[in-house]
Amino acid sequence: MSRHQALNKLGRSGNPIIRSAAFQDKVSSSEEKMSLEGAVNKTSIMLFLTVTAATISWNFQGPLMAIISTLGALAGFISGIMTFGFYFFFVGWIVKPRPHNAPRTAPIYAIGMGFIIGIISQHAESFYPGIVIQAVSLTFFVATSLLLAYKTGLIKPTQNFMLMIFAATMGIFLTYIASLIYSLFSGSHFLVITGNGNMSILFSVVVVCIAALNLVLDFDIIEQSAEQGAPKYMEWFGAMALMATLIWLYIEILRLLMKLRSR
Amino acid sequence: MSYLTLFLGLIGLLSAFLFFYLLKFKASSKQTNRGNRIRWNSYIPYRDKKPNKGKKKESEDSSFRDN
Repeated sequence: MSRHQALNKLGRSGNPIIRSAAFQDKVSSSEEKMSLEGAVNKTSIMLFLTVTAATISWNFQGPLMAIISTLGALAGFISGIMTFGFYFFFVGWIVKPRPHNAPRTAPIYAIGMGFIIGIISQHAESFYPGIVIQAVSLTFFVATSLLLAYKTGLIKPTQNFMLMIFAATMGIFLTYIASLIYSLFSGSHFLVITGNGNMSILFSVVVVCIAALNLVLDFDIIEQSAEQGAPKYMEWFGAMALMATLIWLYIEILRLLMKLRSR
Repeated sequence: MSYLTLFLGLIGLLSAFLFFYLLKFKASSKQTNRGNRIRWNSYIPYRDKKPNKGKKKESEDSSFRDN
C-alpha cells in the first residue's frame, strides 16, 4: 500500500486538538465575510463621525477651525482617492481602486467631510434660517425612497444604467472643474451653476437626480458584495461609497434650496 | 422655526430611522434573481489573498512518494 493510499484509508489524524471544532472555528473566523448588518453598522459609525465633526466645526468657527476644516477636507479627498481610485475619460484609471484600504480611510473621510459640511451648513443657515434641517430631511427622504424602490425591485440597476449614471456624474464633475478654472481667470462663476435663474434651478434639479441615482448603485454594491461573500473590508467600502453619495446629495439639495430661497 | 421646517424635520427623522432599518434587509428576489445585474466584482478588485506557502498540498509533498 502506498503512503497516499494508507493516509486515505486510515484518515488524517486522531489527535483531538487538531480535529477539534475549536480549531475549525478559528480557521473559519480568520476568513470573515461581509454581511448586510455589518455594512449598516459601518454606515452608522461613519454618519456619527460626520455629524460629530460637523457639529464641532459649526460651533467653533474661527481661523483655526478654517485651517482644520481645510486639512480635513484635503484628508477626506485623499482618503477617497486612495479607496475609490481616480478615473478620467480617455486616460483610464490614474489611481486604481483599493477597497482593502477602506477600514483605514473611511473614518478619516467621514471626519474630514464632516468638518467641511459643518462650515458650509453654518454659512447657509446664517443666510436662510431652517434650511439645514430641510436639506438633511430631504436627503434622508430621497435616500429612503430610493432604498425602498431598490429593495422592492422597482428600480433595477443594469450595466446600461450604470454607464449612464457614471457618464452623467463625470459630466457634472467636469462642469464643476470648468467653472472653477473659469472663476480663477475671470473672477466670476458660470451663472448656470451659481445663479438663481430657471436654468440654474433646472441644473440643480438634474444634479440632485443624478446624485440620488448614484445611491442605487451604492445599494447594489452593498447588496451584491454581501450576497457573494466578499471580504469583511467591503463593509467599510460599501459604507464609504454610501456616505460619499449621501454627502454629495445633501450639498446639492442644500444648494438647490438656497437658490429657491434667494428668488 | 416655521411649520414647514418642523414638518420636514419630522419627516427627515422618520426617514433616517426607516433608512437604517430597511438597509438591513435583503433585496427582493425580483431584484436579486435576474440575469442583467451589474457584475461589481469585475470593477472593484478584491485583494487576492496571499497563498499560504507553509501549507503544502499533499500531492506536492516530496516526502510522500508513490512507488
